[in-house]
Amino acid sequence: MTEKEQLNILEEWLGLHKGLIFKIVRAYAVAMMDHDDLFQEIIVQVWHSIPAFRQESSVTTWLYRISLNTAIKWTQKERKHSQSETLDNVQHILQENKIPVDERLAWLYQEIYKLDEIDRSVALLLLEGFSYKEMAAILGITESNVGVKINRIKKQLIAKSKNYDYHGI
Amino acid sequence: MEFDELQQIWDSQNNQPLYVINEKALHNRIQSKMKQGLHITNISELLLIIIHLSAGSFILGVNLFNHRGKISLYVLAAWMFVTALYSLVSRIRRIKGTHRFDRSMHGDLNYALSVATYLVRLSQIMRWNILPVGVLTLLSLWEGGKSFWGAGFILVVFVFGFYVSRWEHNIYKGRKRELEVLQKKLETKG
Repeated sequence: MTEKEQLNILEEWLGLHKGLIFKIVRAYAVAMMDHDDLFQEIIVQVWHSIPAFRQESSVTTWLYRISLNTAIKWTQKERKHSQSETLDNVQHILQENKIPVDERLAWLYQEIYKLDEIDRSVALLLLEGFSYKEMAAILGITESNVGVKINRIKKQLIAKSKNYDYHGI
Repeated sequence: MEFDELQQIWDSQNNQPLYVINEKALHNRIQSKMKQGLHITNISELLLIIIHLSAGSFILGVNLFNHRGKISLYVLAAWMFVTALYSLVSRIRRIKGTHRFDRSMHGDLNYALSVATYLVRLSQIMRWNILPVGVLTLLSLWEGGKSFWGAGFILVVFVFGFYVSRWEHNIYKGRKRELEVLQKKLETKG
């Protein structure tokens, strides 16, 4: 596969599935600079993975695998930036979309971020509607283990939502 | 809220992307990242091989040109070549082992853990390798009738190297421990 072909595939995947990468970036990084850093790390890993993609799984599943593995390793690097860092000479890759964001969605991301790295992956896969079987394949653990983790995460999120005060309701 | 409501909140973002990508900046950043392709493991291995090969060749060359070649220096050169060979064989075995892991999160963590274990072992071996190299160097100085102070200085350098390498070794050990914690979290039920 030539570099040009690889780049074309990357652009095609990015055009169709950038949303899933955005979700992972937002769930694993807090500061805007970190969003940028993690996003480019994921894109580079996805680019490297293209020749190994054998179409045994869907592109979405493949992208989740690569992106989640990258995000988990990225959190281990402890290279996160502080919000106060001077970024005058840095050209941002990601710019926040200027649309009103549902306050409850921001809260949900916040709660997902509070989970540990592994549970965060499980929560994302759960909310994205993956089956137990698909999750087990992505995570490399048994379906029963996935089930146990999901039950606990669901209970945890529901319990937290009881204390969430949305517009005082 | 019930889980269905949480799901609805989550799905609400599907029609409105969270970010806009600056295509030009992304392209530039990817290009520069590609150039930084060499991983720390690769750099460590290549440095070990090059340094030991160069040092071994230099010692052997100097000793051969010297009319009164010293046995300790021949042994030291041979030791350097053996170390370079060991590093090369370890590197080949590591690269061959890359394909043993599946692409799941578990497989990826296992791979990262195997690389971390490899680095811990390599740094440990290289740390203890300072001892025979130090002894052989001191022996060659003694054979050449060098001054006590010169030998003392060399000894201090080797002791310093031995302690600094412990610091490097501990960094690898720390990274390995973090990965083990992650692996445990993934495997633990509940």
